[in-house]
Amino acid sequence: MSLTVWTVIFTSSNDAFGYSRESMITYIFLIAFLQSIIISSSLNGLASRIYSGEISNHLLKPLNIFALFAVQEIADKFKNTFFLVLETLFLFLIFKPIILFPDYKIFLIFIAWAFGGLIMNFIISLLFGSLGFWSPQVWGPQFLFFMILEFTAGKLFPLDILPKILQKIIYLTPFPYLSFLQIQLFLERLSADEIIKHSIVMIFWIITLGLITKIIWKKGLRSFESVGR
Amino acid sequence: MWETNTKLRYNKTMQKIAIKVENLKKYFKVYKKEPGLWGSIKSLWKRNYETVKAVDDVSFEITEGEIVGFIGQNGAGKTTTLKMLSGLLYPTQGQSTVLGFNPWDRKPKFQKQFALVMGQKNQLWWDLPAIESFHLNKAIYEIPDKKFDETLAKLAKILDVEDILQIQVRKLSLGQRMKCEIIAALLHNPKVLFLDEPTIGLDVVMQKILRDFIKQYNKEFGATIILTSHYMGDVKELCERVIIIDNGHKIYDGKLADIINKYARNKILSLTLENGVTKNELSKFGTVKSFEDGRTTLVVPRKDATKIAAKILNQFKVHDLNIEEVPIETVIREIFGNKNK
Repeated sequence: MSLTVWTVIFTSSNDAFGYSRESMITYIFLIAFLQSIIISSSLNGLASRIYSGEISNHLLKPLNIFALFAVQEIADKFKNTFFLVLETLFLFLIFKPIILFPDYKIFLIFIAWAFGGLIMNFIISLLFGSLGFWSPQVWGPQFLFFMILEFTAGKLFPLDILPKILQKIIYLTPFPYLSFLQIQLFLERLSADEIIKHSIVMIFWIITLGLITKIIWKKGLRSFESVGR
Repeated sequence: MWETNTKLRYNKTMQKIAIKVENLKKYFKVYKKEPGLWGSIKSLWKRNYETVKAVDDVSFEITEGEIVGFIGQNGAGKTTTLKMLSGLLYPTQGQSTVLGFNPWDRKPKFQKQFALVMGQKNQLWWDLPAIESFHLNKAIYEIPDKKFDETLAKLAKILDVEDILQIQVRKLSLGQRMKCEIIAALLHNPKVLFLDEPTIGLDVVMQKILRDFIKQYNKEFGATIILTSHYMGDVKELCERVIIIDNGHKIYDGKLADIINKYARNKILSLTLENGVTKNELSKFGTVKSFEDGRTTLVVPRKDATKIAAKILNQFKVHDLNIEEVPIETVIREIFGNKNK
């Protein structure tokens, strides 16, 4: 849908918000592709699985439950990527975007950042899942999260078309690191300084969120009631 | 044969203690919601808490190889205790040791030595044949190939499920599924078994099969077993020792047979008498429970049972006389009945 909207915008002008028509199409393509890999998660039902006591079976066995979730997530992503590639090929044929690949060094950093985004999203999903220790309904906060993500991860439009003050606020959150900045890197719109800065911030977010999740899970397991007989 | 933690302790008669529970408590915080829409709205800003004392200061020791029955009404705290011993629930207070381990630490070494089987709660993957779940467990518990094949063959033969292992679990009957669940739980040859209502919902034939199997497993592997069940048949056949739990408290811990001696106040006299004896005449000796066609059952105080029987034999023409114990179920029901007063 975004593609159609932007195509219309670009029929009237060749340049919009600092993006040429080709860059914008590339942007929309890439972000949709990247987000489908990074943001989809097999852990969406985790909270209700915890609340219903379904994870009890896993807790009884000599099994690291986080490793289990991680492997399930990887399997889920492989499955998604397969269908995604088919979908993308189809859209490719319709819109015929010209994707310019960046320098190979940038591309390697891009891959690393993509993994960073994957890990961050995994941790955030675990965090939402842990709410299931205390409440059956997590769709509320989760829905809110996805809504915010729609705007701030750059799915509908690139973040830099937003007013500066809004951008500043959004950059204080982990959202841009979930796919937007990866695409900016891909389109070679980041300076070397910015690349270093964002790499550090990404690592910071991963460690911080990881620690918070670990603490909350520990607390959650303690209060776990293992219901359902 | 099995790895043991060197902190395993011994009791006074130098038997190895497999499970030790000391002053174990588990309290749950429960919200009480008033019914209806207004109740739901009210609960947004004010909630009434209630502390449910599921397990309230329970202590006991179980030696290796014992089969112990947990008896109690629904909500007495039996399953909660088992869950604490499995490491699923974190105790509010007190401690427990199983095979020398603290269950809450959830050490893999510990987890590879016990199994928790809850009747009607599945661990098998629904859409896959049982054998796939078995292979998964083999990997999780790191069971060597040869041991796995041997154990599986043995268990499948005893439980007679060799033919159904390749069928999707959801297509199996309840009895078949339970058998496969038991196999899945025993593939790693656990030293300690927690069986929570294992025969619930099963027909009498299946119940017998499972009981025999549990007996055999205990004999062959010396496994320590805690069994909770509402079916006295399970307890009578399998457990020499029972622990009665009521409202989170342990109210009896000892031999099943001794419950009769300690708590049964009465005995039952079953008589076949000559015609002409009236109910009134018999009621002088005890409470008449039934009276028809010359057959009577009388409930009499235990200590006087033989004396009364002798008197009846003297006074009337008796064709047949039996002195029986009150069924254990009745005794236990009475124990609970007294506690509730």
